[in-house]
Formats: sequence, C-alpha cells, structure tokens
Amino acid sequence: GYALVALGPSLSLFIAVISKKPFLILTLLSSTLVWLISLIILSGIWRAFLPLNSTTWWPFAILIFTSIAFQEGLRLLFWKVYKRLEDILDAFADKVSKPRLYLTDKMQIALAGGLGHGVAHAVFFCLSLLTPAFGPATYFVDRCSQIPFFLVSAIIALAFVTVHTFSMVIAFNGYAEGNKVDQLFVPSVHLAAGMMVIFYFCSHVYATPSCSVSEPYYVQ
Amino acid sequence: MAQNQRPKSLLDSLGEEIIRILTPVSICMLLVVLLVSILNSSSSLSVTSSIATIAYSETGSDSSWDKFIGALLNSLVFVVVVTVATFILVLFFYLRCTKFLKIYMGFSSFVVLGFMGGEIALFLIEEFSVPVDCITFLVLLFNFAVIGVLAVFMSKMPIIVTQGYLVLIGMMVAYWFTLLPEWTTWVLLVAMALYDLAAVLLPVGPLRLLVELAMSRDEDIPALVYEARPVTHHDSASRPVQRRIWRERQNARLDSEDSSSLNSDLNSTVSIVQSSHNGARIARVEEGQVSERDAELSAPLIDRRMDAQDGMSTESLMLEGMGLGSSGAIKLGLGDFIFYSVLVGRAAMYDFMTVYACYLAIVAGLGITLVLLALYQKALPALPVSIALGVLFYFLTRFLLEVFIVQCSLNLLMF
Repeated sequence: GYALVALGPSLSLFIAVISKKPFLILTLLSSTLVWLISLIILSGIWRAFLPLNSTTWWPFAILIFTSIAFQEGLRLLFWKVYKRLEDILDAFADKVSKPRLYLTDKMQIALAGGLGHGVAHAVFFCLSLLTPAFGPATYFVDRCSQIPFFLVSAIIALAFVTVHTFSMVIAFNGYAEGNKVDQLFVPSVHLAAGMMVIFYFCSHVYATPSCSVSEPYYVQ
Repeated sequence: MAQNQRPKSLLDSLGEEIIRILTPVSICMLLVVLLVSILNSSSSLSVTSSIATIAYSETGSDSSWDKFIGALLNSLVFVVVVTVATFILVLFFYLRCTKFLKIYMGFSSFVVLGFMGGEIALFLIEEFSVPVDCITFLVLLFNFAVIGVLAVFMSKMPIIVTQGYLVLIGMMVAYWFTLLPEWTTWVLLVAMALYDLAAVLLPVGPLRLLVELAMSRDEDIPALVYEARPVTHHDSASRPVQRRIWRERQNARLDSEDSSSLNSDLNSTVSIVQSSHNGARIARVEEGQVSERDAELSAPLIDRRMDAQDGMSTESLMLEGMGLGSSGAIKLGLGDFIFYSVLVGRAAMYDFMTVYACYLAIVAGLGITLVLLALYQKALPALPVSIALGVLFYFLTRFLLEVFIVQCSLNLLMF
C-alpha cells in the first residue's frame, strides 16, 4: 500500500512511456545510479557529523542546503553528458540512415532521467525503510505524531518524485534554450521543497497539528 | 495512412539487446531475493558443510580476524578446485570426448533441477504449510526436472521455456550459495572475480585455452549459456541475414557434483541422497543456440564466465561468458547469473536498501562490461567489474548510507 502511494504515478509513467523504448530504460537506470552515488558521497561527507542534535534546526538546514547544491551541480553535469550523447546519437542515426532525434525524443530522455532520480529518491528514502511495516504495528515519529511515519514518508516521496521528474525536463529545456528563468526555476523549487521540512522544526515549538498542515504544502 | 506515421525514430530500438539480457538477470535476482527473504526470516543456524567450507566452518563466536582467515582459506580451496576442474574440461575437449561430456551435463542438470528444486520446494511447503502429499509432489518434481533437461538441450522448444529454465537453474544454485556463512560468501565472490579475470586474460588461463580450442576447431561444446532472443529489425528491408559471422563461442560446461551432508563423510554415494539441507549438486550445461539476427550493432564479444561449484567427487567447470554466438545474439553464461544473484541475495540478508544499491551497481557493471566488449572485441570476463562494484556499493551502503538516510528520514528531512 505504502509503496504504491509513493510510486504509483511513476509506475504508470514507466509502463506507458518508458517500457516501450529500451534506451529510456537504460537512461532511467543510469540516472538512478548517479543519484545513488551522489547520496553515498553526501553521506560519506556527513558521516562525521551524525547523529545530529535534534533540537536545533540549523544543522539540518545546512545539511539540506549542501545536499541540494551538490545535486543541482550533478544535474548540470548530467546535462553536459547528455549533450555529448546527443551528438553521438545523431551521428549514429545518420550512419544507419534513420531520422535524427526529434524534440519529443529529447524530452523523453529528459523525462526518463528525471524519473530515475525520482525513483531513486522514493526507493531510498521510503521503500527501504518499509521493512518494519510488514508487521502488525505501525510507527510514529516524535515530530509528527498524528500520521504514521510510513504514510508521511510515502506522501513526501510521492511529492518528490513528481518534483524530480519534471524538474529534469524543465532543466534540460532551460539549458537547451539558454533560458535563465527556467534554469533558475529548478534549483529553487528543489530548495524550497527541501526547506519545507524546516517548517516542521519551527512548528515544533508551536502546537502539534503542524505536521498535518505542512503535508498539503508538500503536495502542492 | 502512411503519411500520418512518422518514420521510426532511432530511440525506438537502440538499447534493445542490452535490455533483453538485462531482464532475465533482473528476474533471477528478484527471485533469489524473494526466496531469501521468505526462507531466511527465521535465522537458520545450520551451517552447510561442503567443499566451500572444508577449510573452516564459521561459527558465531569467532573473532573477526579468525573469520577472515577462515574465509580466505575456504575461497582458496574453492578456487583451486575450480581451476583443476576447468583444466580437466579443457583436456576432455581436447580429446574430443564430447558425447561423454554432453551426457554428463544432462545428468547433472537433471539432478540440479530435481534435487535442489525439490529441496527449495520442500522449504516453501514447510513455510506455507501447503497440503500436498508425497506422491503428487514427486510426480510433479520429476516432470519438472525432465522438461527442464529437455528444454536446455533440445533447441526445438519455444525459446521462452528454455530461457525460463535457465533462469530457474541459476536461481536454485544461487540460493544454495547464499546458505554459506557470511564472510566466506563475500571473500568467495571476490576470489571468483579475480580468478575469472586471470583465467580469461592470462595466456595460460584455462578458459582462454578452451575458447581458442573451440575457435580453432570451429565446433561447439554443448554448454549452458543464456542466449537472449535475437533482435530482428522489422523495418530494415533487404538486409541479408548474416549467419555465423562470428564463430566464436564459448561453451563451458560446468559440472560439479556436490554431495555434502551434515555428517560430512557419509554419502559415499555420488548419487545424491536427499539429506536435510545440504545436497547440492550443481551442474551446468551450456548450450548454444543458433539463431539469426541482423547484425547492426553487434560485435563479436566473448566473455567467459565461471561457475564455481563445490564438488567432492567431480569437478565442474562453468564457463561464464558473454558473447555473440554464431547467431549474433548476446550470450551470457549462467555462472554470471549465479554470482550476481548470490551477491544480491546476500545483500538481502542484511536489509533491502543494500539490495537496491547492489542491484544498481551490478547493472552498471554489466553495462560497462558490454561497452568494453564492444571496444575490445575479444573474450572478456563478465564477472569482475560487476562484482567489484557490487561489493563496493554493498559496504558503502551498509556503513555510510544507511545511517545517513535513517537519520534524515526520522527527522523527516528529505531532498
């Protein structure tokens, strides 16, 4: 159940669009891998500072900020690799006398890349923690004690999958056309979504209904 | 109308061969993970003693250093056994005893499907309390094993049956391997990867000799190789079908019989008597299939694979390899399937996060190996890159990533 909440839209997207074209599956897997590597590097860097003191909120802010900056940097790198790939593919297409890549093809590649990122997020932040959910009870976190933890993480994962998927498409479009607004839009959205959690901390001071309030913000 | 349809884009069919080989590997890994998570939830303390643990049986209370040395000794013994077995296979091939080898392989694959499949089925029946009686069970098992042997050997079966059976064989052997103690498994994987590297690339390596023999004589040994269904391009009009362009194939056979039992020196019988946990008989048979394919992107690539087995009585060799057979479709040796699944199964015993990380690492390794194959155009071992990446990612995930993610998630920090 939880897994489907987190991954439902991405699964349907996968079946409809990506499974038809094997190249997109490969793109998906490679972007998932890249995201995983970025996570590992980040965890390596932050390992020394964990476990964090959970009462103050600013270490978390730094954590999120650095992580997001790193990942946006990676997105730029992904874009550069993609440019080179596009050239190779076009040359190859000429060689076998097939038409060059259409715009929809390029967007599909971007979509697959973004979906890969989103799936990696959902898998690592939500699914891998679901193993205790198979048992009879459920689990609540102190921060947010109305909704079971698994449901919270599933909803957040859902939101992030959407964010990641579409931000990749927008980012590629932005880089391609040199459109500054688009280019800046993506990292800011990412940052905003990440910073939302800080909302939790501030609201920790106030009453508890906060976390069910912030949930709708996420889904927006 | 024809005008409304765009001509097919390049993207439609680009990575298809890779996907065709990736899917069965993923399915095999998935099945092993499922089996491991179902059957090992009650931590089984029985240590299967086989040739892999002949040097040292790991117990829970030994210190880390002891465990490490023990695991090293075990793997060393194992690699030595496999080397000897491979050399004997080369010898047989050289002396042209192919009929004998073929019969032997058929027999061993029957035993694998029958006995190991039966054992796994027994575990499952026990776990789920399925009411089924002995006789029905035996009849079903026997039929299953016979069809399996036929499917692997005769090429008249629909290809999906053959592929399915090969995946099942790989899954059973991999499951058996995951029953080994933990340190032994990891060191064994690394040792096999190194051995594969050595055996294929060194001029004196047995696998390389085998390939060269097969090539020079232009014949094949029947062996167990997974061959992906060939890709036919519908829209390439008058392209002549290229048959047998690249005649390099490797067939490696791997037969190993392993009769191991808890009370170790019982079972003088080579015919395996069903004992509680540990009858494991691994036989690998490779078979190449001839199919046709338009060669567009293909390059003659041969990888070898090795399957390791524990054998007390006879040796087994498995050639692992990826390559294009005379048909042009990508062939992946069954040993590769097995070792990848062993790695993922072992990761599953820890936590699911490691499973995902290792799966991605192995797929990446496979991709890299394919690219290298396209570049170098000679026999390449398919095992080392993936295993190296997989082991690396496993340890990184276990020690670094898990703490990070659990911390972040508990505080509901996600990015």
